Amino acid sequence: MKPASFAYERPCDLTAALSMLAAGSGSAKIIAGGQSLGPMLNLRLVQPELIVDISALAELKRAEIFGGELVLGALVTHADIEDGRAADVTRGAMRGVAANIAYRAVRNRGTIGGSLSHADPAADWISALAALGARVTLRSLAGARTMPVEAFVVGALESALHTGEIVEAVHVPARSVSAHWGYAKSCRKTGEFAHAIGAVLIDPAAASARIVIGAIDTAPIVITDAAELFGGRIAADYKQRFDVRVADALLAKAGIDDAAQRHIHVGVLKRAVQEAAA
Amino acid sequence: MSTIALNVNRRAVELSAEPRTSLADFVRDKLDLTGTHLGCEHGVCGACTVLLDGVPARSCITYAAACEGADVTTIEGLDEDEVTVELRAAFTREHALQCGYCTPGMLVSARDLVLRLPDADERRIRVGMSGNLCRCTGYVGIVRAVQSVIEARRARNIGPLADGGRTGLGPVGSGRAASSRSEPRSAQQALAPASESATPGSIHDFTPATVLDQRFTLPHPPAKVFAMFDDIAGIASCLPGVALTGVPSPERVEGAIRVRLGPVAAAFEGAARVERDPVTLSGRIVGIGTDRRSHSATQGEIRYRLLPLEGGAATAVELSIGYTLTGMLAQIGRPGLVRDLARRLIAEFAVNLDRQMSGASSEQIAPAELSFWSIASDVLRARIARIFGRRSGAG
Repeated sequence: MKPASFAYERPCDLTAALSMLAAGSGSAKIIAGGQSLGPMLNLRLVQPELIVDISALAELKRAEIFGGELVLGALVTHADIEDGRAADVTRGAMRGVAANIAYRAVRNRGTIGGSLSHADPAADWISALAALGARVTLRSLAGARTMPVEAFVVGALESALHTGEIVEAVHVPARSVSAHWGYAKSCRKTGEFAHAIGAVLIDPAAASARIVIGAIDTAPIVITDAAELFGGRIAADYKQRFDVRVADALLAKAGIDDAAQRHIHVGVLKRAVQEAAA
Repeated sequence: MSTIALNVNRRAVELSAEPRTSLADFVRDKLDLTGTHLGCEHGVCGACTVLLDGVPARSCITYAAACEGADVTTIEGLDEDEVTVELRAAFTREHALQCGYCTPGMLVSARDLVLRLPDADERRIRVGMSGNLCRCTGYVGIVRAVQSVIEARRARNIGPLADGGRTGLGPVGSGRAASSRSEPRSAQQALAPASESATPGSIHDFTPATVLDQRFTLPHPPAKVFAMFDDIAGIASCLPGVALTGVPSPERVEGAIRVRLGPVAAAFEGAARVERDPVTLSGRIVGIGTDRRSHSATQGEIRYRLLPLEGGAATAVELSIGYTLTGMLAQIGRPGLVRDLARRLIAEFAVNLDRQMSGASSEQIAPAELSFWSIASDVLRARIARIFGRRSGAG
């Protein structure tokens, strides 16, 4: 239960961190709060030669609003969001998600960038941010690129990050006044990784919705053309029109063969829809 | 070793420690502050919870080196703390402990709730304490104790902390240090010597602990696919991460498969036995392999069956993949993630196979390592291994 030996570097700026990561060519791991990597190091599931600790980098601790879009540095913690220390453009949606991640002692160190990088399908941010339409900026010595969160997560624990690249920031669009938000998850024990996640951003006025079914052991199902889930149109009565059969079919198509599992996912999604409509 | 300077219970300390030393081991072993207890050592049980820059954090998954310049408060540093004094009295009164192992972490988490929660709502207290496990009390006394302290303080007009006790952003405990580095490890503790690696004389049958069924289709006739499956080197080149050692015989191959699931990486070396039945267009590969780095071993088997599709113009390949994993990598099981990995692996394999059968050269196909197939079993298992990987709670 003690990690294997590793060398440790605490770079003073992002460029130095990226250089160390590039020089480590795959045998170096970035650590921020360490709340996902720490357990894996202790269990010796991960045995990197070098740990590059970015937890002190001030340039990754920003939380700013630019033109209605929130830019959160990768090192912003779940507790920073929960407590409202970081700015918010989602009218509380992100605060609610953050407050129910793991436990307070974990939220005080665990970061939004670290959670995304780890790409655990059962983690909260990959589903919640996909529903909110967020994008993520990745940076390496070669430059930066930005992509939607749903494109960033490739599969279980697999992200679009290349060797030598790190998550720099998350860009969250403002939630419009008419958009309803619902987020539900199923955990057998409070704070553990979810067995099912439903995240919905529904704007009846604009007749649009972003629906996410998460914690399905692979990248979440993200539905941006969601009218079919609501009997063909998204309007004020979307809660009554929510069609569990369509949701079930989506899950079956995603390869979830177990009917009981699909039932749980559909039930959790339905709770998220009900929360949005409440 | 590197020197770590921080403040523990308001006392400045400067000590050398290995980078891998957890904050919990640092205060226990180097400062004899053994009130910080270690239970699970992977962030689940909460026994090691301490205050870092005044708020709770897990000291078992926080490395001391990451806390340069931080303020650490262990249970010993809370003797005179006003809230903790009240909590101790309440824990005694409500029988909120029995063996006491979880109590230091309980008190640290309870103190945080007393400061932050607006009122003594039982549900919020239970949720707030859910990251601290107690195997004695059943929690009733603990919840009552926390409730009573919150009620008493709110009755005395002491309100909750609005900002959660923090002002800056980012992980608590980090960010107060100048840059630093440990001496790079010398060519080091190289991996353990090869010892008797897994290339034993015979490969036995076994009963897999887990079986996954997968299926893909190829736009080629079954006979052609079956012939392709006999070309071990060709098949291996279609499997990402596989490298053959030596020249394969039709019945036996040796090689290695590198697999990676997120941050978990393993290289299984081993051998496999190949069986084929031309009559039923089916076959079986049984293999064993070991990953020296993680001291993990795997046994795996792949059974395949080829079925004609579209009147024989195409082939459905049905795979049944069974494996058993032992050692370090077997500690955490998330079979669902294994399925996802196997699915992605097989999809990649099918694309490469189709490309190879359609005439692409092998260099065009396998970008990474050489590869091959008996190894396939190892490969799949390996992936499986990666799939394992985690729990606790990062969200």
